[in-house]
Amino acid sequence: MLSLLPQLLVSGIAIGMLYALIALSMTILYRATTVVNFGHGDLVMAGAYMVLIFMVNVTLPFLPALLLSLAALFGFGYLLHRAFIWPIINGPHLGLAMMAIAIGYAVRGLVRLEYGSEMAKMPRPFEEQFFFAFNTVMTLDEITFCVVVVVMLVVSYLVFSRTRFGRIVQAMFQTQRGASLVGINVRLFNNLIWGVGCALGALGGVMLGLILVLDPDAGVWTLLRGFAAMTLGGFGSLHGAVIGGLIIGVLEKVLGTYVSTAFIDITCYLVIIVVLLVRPRGLFGQHATLRI
Amino acid sequence: MKLTRSVFWLLPIAALALPLLVNPYHQYVVNLILVYVVVGVGFNIVVGNLGQLAFSNVAFFGIGAYASAIFTTQLGIPWWLTVIPAGVVGAIAGCAASIPALRGVRLFYLAIMTLAFGELMRWSYIRTPALTGGSMGLTVPPAELFGWVLESETQKFYVFLVIVVVIVVAVSRILESRIGRAFLSIKNDERAAAAMAVPTGRYFVLAFALSGFVVGIGGSMYAALVGHLSPEAFDLVQLILHFAIIMVGGLGSLVGSILGAVLITATPELFRDWPGFEELMFGIVIVIVILFLPRGLASLLARVHPIFKDRYLRED
Repeated sequence: MLSLLPQLLVSGIAIGMLYALIALSMTILYRATTVVNFGHGDLVMAGAYMVLIFMVNVTLPFLPALLLSLAALFGFGYLLHRAFIWPIINGPHLGLAMMAIAIGYAVRGLVRLEYGSEMAKMPRPFEEQFFFAFNTVMTLDEITFCVVVVVMLVVSYLVFSRTRFGRIVQAMFQTQRGASLVGINVRLFNNLIWGVGCALGALGGVMLGLILVLDPDAGVWTLLRGFAAMTLGGFGSLHGAVIGGLIIGVLEKVLGTYVSTAFIDITCYLVIIVVLLVRPRGLFGQHATLRI
Repeated sequence: MKLTRSVFWLLPIAALALPLLVNPYHQYVVNLILVYVVVGVGFNIVVGNLGQLAFSNVAFFGIGAYASAIFTTQLGIPWWLTVIPAGVVGAIAGCAASIPALRGVRLFYLAIMTLAFGELMRWSYIRTPALTGGSMGLTVPPAELFGWVLESETQKFYVFLVIVVVIVVAVSRILESRIGRAFLSIKNDERAAAAMAVPTGRYFVLAFALSGFVVGIGGSMYAALVGHLSPEAFDLVQLILHFAIIMVGGLGSLVGSILGAVLITATPELFRDWPGFEELMFGIVIVIVILFLPRGLASLLARVHPIFKDRYLRED
């Protein structure tokens, strides 16, 4: 049994990379605007559906379809924040959360209206291949996940720490009011961050589309895994989201193999519940609870 | 003559004549509305009155429905006697859902946690086929009391009407009492409430338990109404329905819960043939309500006549 462990680690880390990317994209939105985007899972899946639409209905090759899909989700995120989140940003949290949920539902409804009754599968950009090394198997999909996510992490690290845009975003992560005092156009940059966050999430969705049959309800599946990664890593922590995602990925495989296959589905629920009960701030987060 | 709130009693009295005017299918929709009045009233306690974002409502609804059905099928208890126990099971689930809140988990942390709880419950309906029938669903035998079988929609209507009246009156009494004021104080500012010696933790548990109880009874009514429970009935489409009811009606308003249930429940029946349409429509409706009418239709009604204003909402 134990000889399976290296294999489980490898496939767990590969799928965990996707969770990490999705959690990271949610954390960026959260850090910028302190709004938790409850509709994010649906936007992630919308990324995969956009690729499907561009490839099947417009008959574009994969790469242009991917770029158009990311651009579309960037635009959607930008408009979403500008038109729906910004006007109520100073209102109660309840309204903000409900807004995100409602938009997520509207997107899901739109998808279900079009694809609800059929099994939609995103066309594959490449043939699946298997590689053997050190007694473990890796699929080309899994290698793609790892490479793309690692590249995205490096790119976002460089953008955050080296570019002017990144420094402005960091300033806004600290305090929006302070940022606006030194002349930063907070609204514009929040719009941009929402665009970037949605596009990043959509990239995760496209990669999920390689291994999943697309389903309008997969948005919630994605959302909960993203939340589990964020909760475990600590809300608002960028590296926490990535590490949390990797741990969830491995945990799903390990528990699913050694305990019961049922755990594959419920690991993320249990992680959320246990972490919030035992250590609400997660691994790297700030104080998370209200103490009275 | 000055109008008092006792005119509201005309509503259920007038409703007594309703079965004379409608056909059985419309009667079914009316019964469904009554179920969702109960659900909306229960859900609004936690979201509107306590001001907490909780997604556990569908879990309470499902737990109530399955509890009622399991008591009927496995133990052979007539449906009538399972209504209160279903509420109690829902209340226990409510207490369980409030444990994280006692640990200081608030805002979106609570929302995420209750979302996970709800999904976990839906998973367990599918994974315990011995009790719940799994994904095949569970058929509930018709309710029976002393040989009187509750078969027709009209019979169900009268029974449901009694339950709805009892629940609405009881909940309005509770919300107008010290308990309701404590809920509102926590909603407005929890630290300030605690500073005024309101035992906030206790009221958290109470609000969740009360909500679970009421929604659990709603679930039990649902089980009797539809006669067959399947796990898909308790998915996230159900959740958006509950949210739409209280958002459109008015957060924290009892009048709003009822109004929302009447308006929102009837509409999906019109759009059955297009899956996805209700999600799209409710999503858009909620967005519009948040942007332009954050206090829901109840706030419009309250402007028409003060009689519609909930007595415990005194901010405006």
